Amino acid sequence: MKLSAMVAQQQLIVCVGSGGVGKTTTAASLALAGAYAGRRALVLTIDPARRLANSLGLTEIGNTEHRIALPPEVPGELWAMMLDAPSTFDDVIRKVARDDATREAIYNNRIYRSIAGSFSGSQEYMATERLFDVMQSGRYELVILDTPPVKNALDFLDAPGRLARFLDKQIMKRLLTPHDEDGGFFGSRLLAGTTAVVYRLLGHIFGDEFLGDIASFFALFKDLYDGFRERHESVERTFKDARTSFVVVAAPTEPSMEVAGFFLTELRARGLPLAALVANQVHRASFTTPNLEAVFGARARALHPAAAGPLLARLGAAHLRLADLASLEARRVEALRRQAGPSVDVHVVPRLATEVHDLASLAALHRFLIG
Amino acid sequence: MAGDTSPLFRARVLFVTGKGGVGKTSVAAAVGRLAAAQGRRTLVVEVDNQHPTLPVIFGKPTAYEPTEVEPNLSICNIAWAPALEDWVESIVSMRRLVRLIMKNRVVSLFLQVTPGARDLVMLWRTLQLAKRADLVIVDLPASGNAVAMLSVPLTAERLFPAGPIRRCADELLEMYARSDTRLVLVALPEEMVVNETLETLHKLERDVRGLTIPLILLNRASPPTFTEGERSLLSALEAEAPPGTAMAEVLGAGRWEEGLEAATGDALARLEVTHRPVVSLPSLSRADGARKVTTQLAAAMARASGVRVDFRGGT
Repeated sequence: MKLSAMVAQQQLIVCVGSGGVGKTTTAASLALAGAYAGRRALVLTIDPARRLANSLGLTEIGNTEHRIALPPEVPGELWAMMLDAPSTFDDVIRKVARDDATREAIYNNRIYRSIAGSFSGSQEYMATERLFDVMQSGRYELVILDTPPVKNALDFLDAPGRLARFLDKQIMKRLLTPHDEDGGFFGSRLLAGTTAVVYRLLGHIFGDEFLGDIASFFALFKDLYDGFRERHESVERTFKDARTSFVVVAAPTEPSMEVAGFFLTELRARGLPLAALVANQVHRASFTTPNLEAVFGARARALHPAAAGPLLARLGAAHLRLADLASLEARRVEALRRQAGPSVDVHVVPRLATEVHDLASLAALHRFLIG
Repeated sequence: MAGDTSPLFRARVLFVTGKGGVGKTSVAAAVGRLAAAQGRRTLVVEVDNQHPTLPVIFGKPTAYEPTEVEPNLSICNIAWAPALEDWVESIVSMRRLVRLIMKNRVVSLFLQVTPGARDLVMLWRTLQLAKRADLVIVDLPASGNAVAMLSVPLTAERLFPAGPIRRCADELLEMYARSDTRLVLVALPEEMVVNETLETLHKLERDVRGLTIPLILLNRASPPTFTEGERSLLSALEAEAPPGTAMAEVLGAGRWEEGLEAATGDALARLEVTHRPVVSLPSLSRADGARKVTTQLAAAMARASGVRVDFRGGT
């Protein structure tokens, strides 16, 4: 699918790729393209670093949706949100907790506090929650999701399924039963055989106090399981929906191309709708280096006699380096295009003269992507 | 390219991080080759990388156990599952019981979904490897995730008043506090990368106290070579060149290189607020391949640090 059709028709576009390839700017630019196509578009980043703010030329964007001011001739709207994991987790608890006491008990649980705040990985869990919210709200016609670099992007894709499995009722029952019936996690007379051995060893490893915390954590979450599972299953369905497209973003460097190839394979294996590949930051050289002395040697000497010789020599060498790099990158893009196959639309975006960190340069990028 | 990088290759444990795509793994491999060439038994580690880069550089696959790739130099990729198994074994010390625990469905799900559990056991494994080598270089994930990972022992210390996890966290925090355990941030002369570098340094100082961060590496730096006259002539010619012509493209190539030099100057100026030495590394042609890049990086670091080494097997 062409990116132009994608931003006009799809509901969700997920951008994946390695770090430093311009994934966030591509995501922001696609959202801007959606706004140009007359849609209300939101770009959502779950990147732990503050890249989206950078690429939109903003100093800070928080966990709430911000509207980005666009020129009056743009028919649609552009919104942006950056995910801040702990407060998102708190938001979710506020929504699903049945009363204030449960909510406060969860907020005060030590396990909850460490999971919501300090541990890595919570971004991935909660990203799906926030995505669910914005998709459900119906406030946006197009949502563009920017994912973290490779390792976590996969965690993120796996998170809904993993959490749904974890919250499987049967398993939860096994974890919770000793707590419910004995008021303690271990030493339950009901536990027998290998399970009892395993729990005793767990007690030895984690300490009884921590296991008590865990047990009360799960007990508090008991009523929230169905809600959580439904939300995550819904996000998983959304990923596989016909109105969702995955876009792999890559720079024409060796490691980035490898990661892109890896994503092509993974997305296919998972049955996720891969639709386009963006080869970003590509150097271009269309001409063979002319005889610089013959073309503008005289003019250069007239303008600046002392600098003319050194600059002409430098320009010739610079252009040769550019041409070498351009042809190497073209070969790499071609190899990736072959791997992607005919069903995947490949967009080649040249390296822009300046870094993309304001709306004007985003608009320039979007012209390259959409045409 | 001046600047002493010996605090890096003379460390015992060196963590390497930075924004995605800055060349962390190449830098980690280059420091590793430099240390190994000086006779230090060195190990370069990738952390649970589903798409490891070290094999691309050294032309040999990595596994959980280290593989020797050059004299004194080994590489490995720490996956969390075997690290966890090793850790549990260090506590219960009975293979059969370890297998029983690991096979238990509740336990494995619990460990899979408890964020931080993976990070902790992988850091623990790094510490064990450090006991067998003169230098362990840890190629961490990109900066945001690296900070989260490194702060796990501090969180664990708050959560566990006693027991094996507490002991593990304590041991890791002791390692952080050692003066020969160091972290280096790799940056590029690009505005967004510099932003993230400054932000990461701030987070590390706030959330991972005690870790020594001796310097910052500015990778792919272009030192100033354009003269004032060349710059003004370039601008004058640009104003006259019709767009879309060969001439405009040649001038664009010159502007591209001049822009890299200007960006390097900007980055160096902005990184001054870190109050740390910023060591520039050369911009190398990636067309030469990943291995040659590490040789050249290692050679540049050796020269800048006044160290003489011979990279045997280095092509």
